[in-house]
Amino acid sequence: MPEEANPGGVPEPQKPEETTAPTGGGEPSAPEAAAPPSGGEESPSASAPPAPPVPKPAAPAAAKPAAAAAAAKPAAPAAPKAPPVMLTTPWEGELVEDLKDEFGGKIKEFSTYVGQSFMVAEAAAVIPIIDYLKIEQGFDYLVDITAVDYPDKPERFELVWILYSFDRNERIRIKARVKEGEKAATCFGVHLTADWLEREVYDMFGIEFEGHPNMTRILMPEGWSGFPLRKDKSIVDMDNRWVRENLGIESGQ
Amino acid sequence: MKRFLRTILLADLFEGLWVTLRTQHPRNITTEQYPAVIPKVGERYRGLPRLNTNPETGETLCISCDLCALACPENLIVVGWVRNPETKRKDLVDFTYDTSRCMFCGLCEDACPVDALELTQDYQMASFTRDGQIFDRELLEEGTKPTKYKW
Amino acid sequence: MSETFLDSTELVLNMGPQHPSTHGVLRVIVKLDGEKVTGTECVIGYLHRGVEKIAENRTYAMFAPYVDRMDYVAAISNGLGYCLAVEKLISVEAPERAQVVRVILTELNRIASHLVWLGTHALDIGALTPLFYCMREREDILNIFEKYCGARLTTHAFRIGGLQYETYEGFEKECLEFCDKFTPRVDEYEELLTENRIWKERLIDVGILNAEDCKAYGVTGPMLRSAGVEWDIRKALPYSGYEKYDFEIPTRTNGDCYDRYIVRVQEMRQSARIVRQGVEMLAPGPIIGKVPKVLKPPMGEAYVSIEAPKGELGYYVVSDASTQPYRVRVRPPSFVNLQSLDKMARGSLVADLVAVIGTIDIVLGEVDR
Repeated sequence: MPEEANPGGVPEPQKPEETTAPTGGGEPSAPEAAAPPSGGEESPSASAPPAPPVPKPAAPAAAKPAAAAAAAKPAAPAAPKAPPVMLTTPWEGELVEDLKDEFGGKIKEFSTYVGQSFMVAEAAAVIPIIDYLKIEQGFDYLVDITAVDYPDKPERFELVWILYSFDRNERIRIKARVKEGEKAATCFGVHLTADWLEREVYDMFGIEFEGHPNMTRILMPEGWSGFPLRKDKSIVDMDNRWVRENLGIESGQ
Repeated sequence: MKRFLRTILLADLFEGLWVTLRTQHPRNITTEQYPAVIPKVGERYRGLPRLNTNPETGETLCISCDLCALACPENLIVVGWVRNPETKRKDLVDFTYDTSRCMFCGLCEDACPVDALELTQDYQMASFTRDGQIFDRELLEEGTKPTKYKW
Repeated sequence: MSETFLDSTELVLNMGPQHPSTHGVLRVIVKLDGEKVTGTECVIGYLHRGVEKIAENRTYAMFAPYVDRMDYVAAISNGLGYCLAVEKLISVEAPERAQVVRVILTELNRIASHLVWLGTHALDIGALTPLFYCMREREDILNIFEKYCGARLTTHAFRIGGLQYETYEGFEKECLEFCDKFTPRVDEYEELLTENRIWKERLIDVGILNAEDCKAYGVTGPMLRSAGVEWDIRKALPYSGYEKYDFEIPTRTNGDCYDRYIVRVQEMRQSARIVRQGVEMLAPGPIIGKVPKVLKPPMGEAYVSIEAPKGELGYYVVSDASTQPYRVRVRPPSFVNLQSLDKMARGSLVADLVAVIGTIDIVLGEVDR
């Protein structure tokens, strides 16, 4: 796997943007195909096609959010300047009322996005919530635990728990934020499946789960330093170092 | 008693063998004799990349638009071109395609606006060196020449 | 790996990473008391390629070929899951025809995946013949894939918003022919195995995982169904138009290796049934939805899961309104299912461990990603 040079995804990735223009959604790239393959004067027409898609994307991209969340906010024409926001709608229902009664202010937000419900809670309250949901509400299947790294925000990591209930046939997400170095609580005691899932989160992001019986790396080799899915460090450096130290050769990345 | 007899007479074994024997007829043979008989692959098969040329003039169809290189997830296509001062168009100078990293996803082919780059039905592209896997323009236009074995 | 490993009465055995019965580079550290397994520890990660990291450096369309390389025996299922997740983000739904073709191909892929499983698992147990039969049938499926999209294993068959390729001439006929041919062939496998005494004695009451444990370990797919939970995402949370198809969810009650075998064989029959219905539903129409050429999903996130041959395959995609996904998390069924190995293998014999690993149906490309 070459070229993961920019984990931050900063300057270079900008280029590929236009690149996918013709491939984009996998459409058979109709307009460009019109260019005659004969060989004569397609030079102007050929250099032209890559250009037009650049201004175009602004329009569909801006129009999309409006269509997506049919709720409020008409897509502002000044969208490119304002930072994009997630257009969520409030999540209501019996479950939300129960949770509000039980946990009050510990759950900060109940929202729905593209028909999927999630709540934002305080990190310390997550395990009691999961426990409550399992015992009282029948969310007996922990689908996944994962994290997302936002290096610019003060509480850098967003942990995500995905729960499912067989009886209610409903899937919900719980999100909580932790700072770098802060420990999250394990839910190994509630769902056994958290064992490897939490280990993977630790392996990839370096978020430790307090109370986990075996908080070690799972996918990366033991001598690896750094956490690959964090956005601020180059994965190529990590790879080079590990290969040099352990294999005594230069990594070909 | 019945079970004992079945065990002694290896009834289970023969039952299984019977199924095996049933399919011994030559028309059920599915093995292919590869180097002697080269199997045909589907029309849409994504194999050896080819850079198409105009069959009449021998000129390349590629217009050096670089779209394939940009569409490639592995960044393995490098298009070299110079601007021709007379016609103001880009002239293709070199085209390298690193098949050792290629995963034959077909995105470059889809991106090509003039059907110059194409993944063909040819799949015999092994070579003895790693460098041999990096195809230059000449090789891409003419295709590989796999060794023919005498049988 | 603590002091207990030095105990003189216990033997520590490394099974793998180069062991034929582990179906890849899985290393299981087995603690043995005589022939009895007293504990196992899985060491995984040998095939880790950082798929989730790669996703952060590719555009949405560019990442699609990479997902095929996770569960490489069911590449089409992977592709479907990823496409559905991104489609959810951009609120686009594939056109009717595309959905039907997707279902047909995914179900064929399910059959292919189960055939690989059946063949190799039978091989582990000592039945050599089914492998060749299974591979023969799988070949027919792979030929259909090859004709449809040009690749046999890592297909890259679907694109975000629909399909890239229109079906080829004779696609329907070949699918139906395959189904007609396939059902008697399944009877043949069952003839070889289902009532085979060696097979039964090797599998019945081995590696039992009951419904409670399945839920606790997050085990999904045929393993969960063999324990008596009638749960299939195709029915529970239908995607890609699965609610229109008439099929059953095969279940068993015991949750042992034999039941998992039965469930998978029955699933193959059901898949063939779905393919038949899909071919009937196939009507002319567009194959790709309205997807912008430069894909920039609005800020947001979506979790979409599908019923892959191995269990629940989920994609959690976070978009930051740029052309590249901010984060793609893959919820791999093999990875989660493999966790239950320790629970199942404890107290069994070493030879049973092979059967247990076999019936979990792991693909290491997906476990390690």
